[in-house]
Amino acid sequence: MRQPGSPVIGLEIHVQVATESKLFCACSTDYIGAVPNTHVCPVCLGQPGSLPVINGRVVEYAVRTALALGARVGKSTRFHRKNYFYPDLPKAYQISQYDRPLAEGGALPIGEGENRKEIPITRLHLEEDAGKLVHSAADGRLGHSEYSLVDYNRGGVPLMEIVSEPEISTPAEAREYVATLRQLVRYLGVSDGDMEKGSLRVDANVSLTGADGKLGTKVEIKNMNSLRALERALDYEIARQADLIRKGESVRQETRHWDDGNGLTCGTRGKEEAHDYRYFPEPDLPALVLPDGFVEKQRDIMPEMPWILKERFVTDWGLSLQDAAVLTELPGLSRYVEDCVREGADPQRAANWIRTEVLRVLNEKRIGIEDFGVPAENLSPLLVKIDRGELSTTLAKTVFDRMVAEGLTALEALEKIGAPSGRLTGERLRNVIERVLEKESSAVEEIKSGKDPKGKKRGFLCGQIMREARGQADPEEVAKTLSRFLGC
Amino acid sequence: MAVGEEEVRHIALLARLHVTDQETEPLQRHLNDILEHFERLKGLDLVNVDPFAREDLDATPWREDVACSWEGREEALSEAPVRDGDFFRVPRILEGNDE
Amino acid sequence: MNRLQMSAADLARAVKNREVSAAENVQASIARIEEVEGRVHALLTPLFDRALEKAAQIDQKVGKGEDPGPLAGVPVIVKDNLCMRGLKTTCGSRMLENWRPPYDASTVRFMEEAGAVILGKANMDEFAMGSSTENSAFFPTLNPWDLDRVPGGSSGGSAASVACGYAPLALGSDTGGSIRQPAAFCGVYGLKPTYGLISRYGLVAFASSLDQVGPFSRSVEDLALVLNVLAKPDPADATSSRRERPDFMTFLGKENLKGLRVGVVSEFEAYPVQPEIKEAMERVQNILREAGARFSCVNLPTTIEAGLPCYYIIAPAEASSNLARYDGVRYGLSVEARNLGDLYMKTRGRGFGAEVKRRILTGTYVLSSGYYDAYYLVALKARTKISREFKEAFQDVDMLLMPTTPTLPFRQGENVEDPIQMYLGDVFTLPVNLASLPGLSLNAGYSKTGLPVGIQLVGPQWGEGTLLAAAEAVERVLGKPACAFGGV
Repeated sequence: MRQPGSPVIGLEIHVQVATESKLFCACSTDYIGAVPNTHVCPVCLGQPGSLPVINGRVVEYAVRTALALGARVGKSTRFHRKNYFYPDLPKAYQISQYDRPLAEGGALPIGEGENRKEIPITRLHLEEDAGKLVHSAADGRLGHSEYSLVDYNRGGVPLMEIVSEPEISTPAEAREYVATLRQLVRYLGVSDGDMEKGSLRVDANVSLTGADGKLGTKVEIKNMNSLRALERALDYEIARQADLIRKGESVRQETRHWDDGNGLTCGTRGKEEAHDYRYFPEPDLPALVLPDGFVEKQRDIMPEMPWILKERFVTDWGLSLQDAAVLTELPGLSRYVEDCVREGADPQRAANWIRTEVLRVLNEKRIGIEDFGVPAENLSPLLVKIDRGELSTTLAKTVFDRMVAEGLTALEALEKIGAPSGRLTGERLRNVIERVLEKESSAVEEIKSGKDPKGKKRGFLCGQIMREARGQADPEEVAKTLSRFLGC
Repeated sequence: MAVGEEEVRHIALLARLHVTDQETEPLQRHLNDILEHFERLKGLDLVNVDPFAREDLDATPWREDVACSWEGREEALSEAPVRDGDFFRVPRILEGNDE
Repeated sequence: MNRLQMSAADLARAVKNREVSAAENVQASIARIEEVEGRVHALLTPLFDRALEKAAQIDQKVGKGEDPGPLAGVPVIVKDNLCMRGLKTTCGSRMLENWRPPYDASTVRFMEEAGAVILGKANMDEFAMGSSTENSAFFPTLNPWDLDRVPGGSSGGSAASVACGYAPLALGSDTGGSIRQPAAFCGVYGLKPTYGLISRYGLVAFASSLDQVGPFSRSVEDLALVLNVLAKPDPADATSSRRERPDFMTFLGKENLKGLRVGVVSEFEAYPVQPEIKEAMERVQNILREAGARFSCVNLPTTIEAGLPCYYIIAPAEASSNLARYDGVRYGLSVEARNLGDLYMKTRGRGFGAEVKRRILTGTYVLSSGYYDAYYLVALKARTKISREFKEAFQDVDMLLMPTTPTLPFRQGENVEDPIQMYLGDVFTLPVNLASLPGLSLNAGYSKTGLPVGIQLVGPQWGEGTLLAAAEAVERVLGKPACAFGGV
């Protein structure tokens, strides 16, 4: 039984499915920044007589998502109409799924180690997005607007609605749930999962457990456009409800909007009209039947789930949890590190290099790993050379920068820099050392006369030798050979 | 379980249908008449009957995910009762209108 | 032969063989319309100039030796709920009085691609709701055989057009009898195809799970000819069947009907119908028997008991949703209003006529919270049971013979005050829609007062061929239906 006063949170997440065309018509889904009402046609404008035809790719993507969540995918499901009037809904009904959703059950694992927890999933269903309203008031607010303008470019864009069971206990857990789900849809390539752009929208149901251990009154919160906003909104709402209960007041069942600027949730002032959506089976769409072998085929082409990858990076490669988490955050990055290791790089070396060097470049250039100019098969030899002691880390960085700048392989970059390939040893190394000692004779004298107790001068000489050798010498060997030359 | 005037008005509101005072009474009468007619269904044995029996229909066909643009956009916009540039325009939305 | 009595097949042949031009056909039709239309009022929008242009294009094609299509230069009338791009499509409603759709219905496109020339848009009951065309928001159409009587509905304008010889072919739509009943009342052929045989794309929806487009004609051959043009799978309609269509002409020219098993429905035999209709039933029965058909009785107890209430729940329910899009925002009537809610209420209150309002209210009621299970869900189950009952009946017979209507054409105004009395007239037609079956109404002679009497043939799904063969056998004995007003 839950502790009295403990929060009970359930999340409904709308994920925009990354397809070229809309759910029920061939209009482009690329609505951001488009001239209003340009990605429209008779179907998504709700023109009389037009009919919906489902986009097969949406079904593929939704089934992959359902499988990744371990949900049961329905062999035969159907669509319903959800009827209500609003200007952004051109048919005055939304085609959605109701009593037989595409998938039911499953869970999303969040947290690490002892904090690991599975959040059960209620259902995953498909529906169409609504259009967008632009309100005329200067502040863009509905309440102050004389009129509003309707743009149907977004109308009909495919959405997956993923509903969790109300088993999330803290705002931090909610945040982690959403972050994990976002990572999941990105891994699957079924959505860009961008909260700010609205391709991942979170509605939260929050209540506090009553003194009798039963669920309290549920409040729905909308309009949280980032993970931070989600956490703040939940913190605020939990405190608000706790405060009401403490004062002996009752929590009203309602929908509240998160106001990020002022850091509070606000309810609608007017009385809320009870909704009666009059759901009924969509007669324009026969049953959605998955062909034999379809689900299996989707399973076969699915990538490994990030949480499984992360575990593998830790147990197989001995990476720290933190390294593993960073490297599995995005599907491209984990593929990259895996490719490097497959090409022969040491996992820890690869992890370090990618976390420091590769991510630095990606950040500087504001690009994704997909657009990174140094493929894993080029980076890997560089990392191998470091491990073999053929390259110092310093020189390797210089080489790497050239590879990035000019799109070169490690060998090409080394040649360009003028460093001879292969290690400087034996006779060639001794020649270099002689040259340096001749040039820096005063330092040699000081060392020999014992005026370098802290080994500063010796370090300086080593550096000069390494520089002369263009990094192509093993520092240990340099130090040893130098000692022989100096006789101490 | 006759339908009263209040309920007729509620249904009319759900359907966003303004009905005049003169219209209400005949609509109420009609609704009650037709509901009485529907009582005939009560006598049917419908145990274990699937309500979703349009099984004769082929499964819903899947479209390929190819985007293409439509050339009728200007015609559609020109049908707008109140057009505002590239937009359709609607009057003030009150908070009760917000579903 | 008088050109107005000529069938579409004959006209197309004559155009192809250059015995007559498409332009001459169209001019003759226009002359006939100008002569009779003042009395009958079958058309809402004549398209004469456009028709003459289209005819000229066909003639050019013929001149160049190109194939002008199977309906080359055949004048056609189209019900005003089929979209034609840029041309008024009113659905007989104030709501769409000035609406010009931005696209063509698939059936309109198929007809024009086949060389047919559309002469005008036919009057109809508002949004196809009615059985007399008195529910047209503009004017009633009169029965060509008795101007005091109704032509039937909702496709009354299409039926009257063909009966008057405006054109050998017209298109209508049939949700519960809206092709067959006016065909019977106007003394012509009317075919409601199996659900899914003909595309609904661009047919302004009344009740999506019941609506089908179909033809009117004065010859059985023309029905087959136009089915070959219309009955194509349409990727724009998800309920359009993908099954391969036969060449419907191959069902014609059968020497006899040996082996054909025809059923009469015991419950329908017991139903009170006017004596002229009983006589016509016997007449047709005798003709079919002479031609070699064998008769037996079948039972449809649920159908007779539940058909009407089942239909008058499902059709209004779907209609209430389909007609919700007429909200004054994107197209059609829009009444000046202070705010959005006001816009909805006023526009819909003023734009819809009495019968449409009745059905929207009924449909909204049966779907609303608390009543869905008691009405809508029960109706869906009853529908399943009716479908099964027909299926079982078709184990024993290939076709059913039944009246199209219980009465002869009634007087203008006779049923206006009693909507339910009007509904009762659909008792023999609407079960056919509920069970997704094909139904063909043929003229089986005239009453002593000169009113046409229709009889209905009903087949199993995809059984159109059987209906055509049987109708042809009747046509051989009774002759082709005559034109009203002597056909000049």
